[in-house]
Amino acid sequence: MTQPDLMSEGINLMLFGMGFVFVFLTLLVVSTTVMSKVVGKFDSGEPEPAANRPVVSLNLGPAQDQKLISIITEAIKQHRGQK
Amino acid sequence: MDMVNKLEMLWHGSGVYNMTFGQFVMMVVCVGLLYLAIKKNFEPLLLVPIGFGGLLANIPEAGLAYSSVEQAIHMAKPEVLEALGQVLGVAASDPHALAEAYETSNAELHQAAVNTANDLGYSNGVLYSFYLAVIASGAGPLIIFMGVGAMTDFGPLLANPRTLFLGAAAQFGIFATVLGAVGLTSMGVMDFSLAQAAAIGIIGGADGPTSIYVASVLAPELLGAIAVASYSYMALVPLIQPPIMRALTTQKERQLQMSQLRHVGKTEKIVFPLVLLVLVAILLPDAAPLLGMFCFGNLMKECGVVDRLSDTAQNALINIVTIFLGLSVGSKLVADKFLQPETLGILSLGIVAFAIGTACGVLMAKLMNRFGSIPINPLIGSAGVSAVPMAARVSNKIGLEANPQNFLLMHAMGPNVAGVIGSAVAAGVMIKYVTAG
Repeated sequence: MTQPDLMSEGINLMLFGMGFVFVFLTLLVVSTTVMSKVVGKFDSGEPEPAANRPVVSLNLGPAQDQKLISIITEAIKQHRGQK
Repeated sequence: MDMVNKLEMLWHGSGVYNMTFGQFVMMVVCVGLLYLAIKKNFEPLLLVPIGFGGLLANIPEAGLAYSSVEQAIHMAKPEVLEALGQVLGVAASDPHALAEAYETSNAELHQAAVNTANDLGYSNGVLYSFYLAVIASGAGPLIIFMGVGAMTDFGPLLANPRTLFLGAAAQFGIFATVLGAVGLTSMGVMDFSLAQAAAIGIIGGADGPTSIYVASVLAPELLGAIAVASYSYMALVPLIQPPIMRALTTQKERQLQMSQLRHVGKTEKIVFPLVLLVLVAILLPDAAPLLGMFCFGNLMKECGVVDRLSDTAQNALINIVTIFLGLSVGSKLVADKFLQPETLGILSLGIVAFAIGTACGVLMAKLMNRFGSIPINPLIGSAGVSAVPMAARVSNKIGLEANPQNFLLMHAMGPNVAGVIGSAVAAGVMIKYVTAG
């Protein structure tokens, strides 16, 4: 391969490569967005435990603590009662 | 008299007597790598095995890094050279010509030469065996990529898919460097083929396993220098990137706060690697080894039913492979292969690749800000070069400097993992282009 040829090969590789990377990732953006929408439709009722946890642990005064314990005990009772 | 002869023999067999200047220099370089890894904490997980492998490879006469044929040629017993010369069809008198013929021989002659050397009682050095098993086979980098997949959380990327564009823009560093390497060749400064230029460019992908994979496919002879450059610069990300990021952004842009990322459901995270794999299968089968293993690792993590496999992939397995990969890369740091003017070229082109990639990521983020509705802090653009998670941490740090309430880490993880995908795609394109042309 002669020198100027190598240079034009390099430029071709750059244009081709960069173009392809962009096309590929653009398609990935599109398909990801579509996928998220589709999935979102099917399980929109999914619980979000991560969002709830810190709220509970933040406002733990002694009074609320008591209240919480009674609620939990009641819940466990009901749960056992179901069986 | 006999005693003196024996002593002389011992002396001639010692390391000090046989040490060449190149080997000495390489040992100093390897000790330097170890120093950087241990004392300065530069990518120690890789630079410790690489540095130590390099030390082992340069022990005179031990030949740990040489194949059986290279050992046989090095020992230079006349009858052995004669036999190898016959197999390879070269005059046996010149060991250099013999070694050259062995390097360039086709698979059949290559195997015949190996068989001859084995018959004559020479065997592969242990580091060379590691190299054959881990790098020449292509297995090592791919297993590491699987582990990286199992460690990657695509949540931030899925919450804001547009950050994929930042990962794409930062790959410009790769191709600009290819152009640089080719340009140096045209000017007659260096002598790189297109395949070698492509392998050097991938340093700009800032992704160790991808660099090693591409180098092993396109330019195995440059592998040592490319791997060392790649991992050293990844360690230097906190030094290389900030000046470029500061130069390209205004104080106001750096202070920009981004909106909270939405919650990403489990199903989305499970489906994403499959979507990615389908796209790879449709568009770019050449990237399938890298991205296929990556998707597999990620699916194991997200599906939640094979925690044991996922745990092994991201801990035990990746650690085992890292040890052997590091030693194998170290075996490529032998003096006669590493101490070449090309190495300097590779090291300087590599840092240029990093700089250009960073700059393009930042500029792309500014461009997207101009046209998009959701504000994007340009600092996260630099994370598009991959180098997970170092580059994202750098974005976060610079963001906090400008505005103490500005936590960019999670936002920067999006372009960061996009960069991994982007450099794997770029790797696939280059392998395709170079091997087809």
